[in-house]
Amino acid sequence: MLGSVGEALFFGIFLCMGLVAFVVMMVLLVVPEWRANRQFSATQCTVLATSIAESETDDSKVYRPDVKIEYTVAGRKYVTTTYDAVRVYSSGRHHAERAIEKFQVGKQYVCWYDPFNPDQAVLVRGYNAWMYLLLLVPASFIAIGGGGLIYTAWHWGASAERRASLSKQAAKLDVLREKTGGTPLPNVPSPVDAHSSEGTRLAYRLPIATTPGWQLFVIFIMCLFWNGITSVFVVLAVQSHLRGRPEWFLTLFIIPFVLVGLGLIYFLLRELLITTGIGPTRLECSHYPLEPGQECELLLIQAGRLSMNSLIVELACDEQVSYRQGTDTRTETKRVFSQNLFRHEGFAIDPAAPFEHQWSLVIPELAMHSFKSPNNEVKWKLVVEGDVANWPNFRREYPLIVVPTGTLADAPAAEAAR
Amino acid sequence: MTPRPIEVLLDRDDPVYQPGDELAGQFLVVPTDDLALKAIELSVLWHTEGKGDEDIGVHFFERYDTQDNDNNSDLLRPIRFQTRLPASPLSYEGSILKIKWLVRVRVYPKRGEQLLAEEPFRLGGVPPVADWAG
Repeated sequence: MLGSVGEALFFGIFLCMGLVAFVVMMVLLVVPEWRANRQFSATQCTVLATSIAESETDDSKVYRPDVKIEYTVAGRKYVTTTYDAVRVYSSGRHHAERAIEKFQVGKQYVCWYDPFNPDQAVLVRGYNAWMYLLLLVPASFIAIGGGGLIYTAWHWGASAERRASLSKQAAKLDVLREKTGGTPLPNVPSPVDAHSSEGTRLAYRLPIATTPGWQLFVIFIMCLFWNGITSVFVVLAVQSHLRGRPEWFLTLFIIPFVLVGLGLIYFLLRELLITTGIGPTRLECSHYPLEPGQECELLLIQAGRLSMNSLIVELACDEQVSYRQGTDTRTETKRVFSQNLFRHEGFAIDPAAPFEHQWSLVIPELAMHSFKSPNNEVKWKLVVEGDVANWPNFRREYPLIVVPTGTLADAPAAEAAR
Repeated sequence: MTPRPIEVLLDRDDPVYQPGDELAGQFLVVPTDDLALKAIELSVLWHTEGKGDEDIGVHFFERYDTQDNDNNSDLLRPIRFQTRLPASPLSYEGSILKIKWLVRVRVYPKRGEQLLAEEPFRLGGVPPVADWAG
């Protein structure tokens, strides 16, 4: 309860700050500008004087253009100092100088006055894009504060079951209706990736867990980021040594960072060699998704120009859980089932003739199906491990979706009906 | 022995159900002199146990708000429920993860702490992981 009060207070303060800032910006900046553009009336004015107004902030001066004008509304003369509707100061004096250069004393120009308060007039109209971007700051405070308050209110006093029930109604379950003859399978991941990709010899091509190109890209960015920052300090340290006044603390301090950077470069080169030097590994299967006890044909195709010490295919089932410890979220994986499906040793692969092997796969009859919830998972997968002569070894994973026994029984009838 | 404040009874003696089976039963909030009820929530749900943070999935949910503010007579009687069980997730006893199904009755009194009663059951016939994974 105390936690909820604290949360509500925190988000409430956020919301109030955002609302106050939003209202102030609207009243002082947005509305005057909008009114000047949409509601002010045009008339002729005479420039009496131009100047640059200065104001001092904590550590610098800011400027704004001031133009003194005289104009007549309904037979009455008005004199005012103005420029645009928002009258804000900015740090560049040259901006203000350029602004007043457009107006010469004694000459006539068009100005726009407020019909409800003719004392107020502007010489320049238009919309300031920066001002609208600035509105994003209070808007983000309102979004965080308001969203947080709604979240807190949602959790306040409602049982976990009621919240879960409402969430379930709000989000339609994305389940295996098509492949399972219309039977929804809550918390079983969808095999949509494999369904959209047909195999060359068998019905389905299994999707790979992580695309090598993406993996390489992520490592490249990490490598660039880490070594880019580290190199700045390396240059400083080297310069100090070249000047004859070595910075020993800096030198010793950056050594571990340099070692990590070198490790990243090694890892990047290794992945580059694997991605470019080892051809794609394809796994195709005759049925998908799979049921415990069901037999399916599996085809492995390994391309490339490789001298293989060994090629292994393993069927595995992992439990993967995540839990919060303080402010960290930790993930733990436990392999509960592992079976070597295939092992081939000492052979060569030619680019013109990829290695192929087809065999049968059976998921254990009493096994658990694939399961996924926000913090817990049961993951089935095929793991291909290659030991390549004179080249980095590779490991590629292919997720499998295993559905509960009997789920697919109605599928042929349903497909026929369609 | 103190009587249980909430009784949950499933129609079947065998607590093992298969996907698509109908789960039916009733619950009763045992009346006492000073018990004034605001509402009762009935849920048929699964939840996870083990090393990971708990996840929960509600398959069936019903909330009963009292219409009789004087003596709760509408809630202090056996209330029946029934629902057809889903195809997944099946009950599971893994190594660092367990999935358990249960019927949960949560009682909101007008004064004082909530009362809770649970009746576990199994969905499906997946044996403990050690039996099929070796």
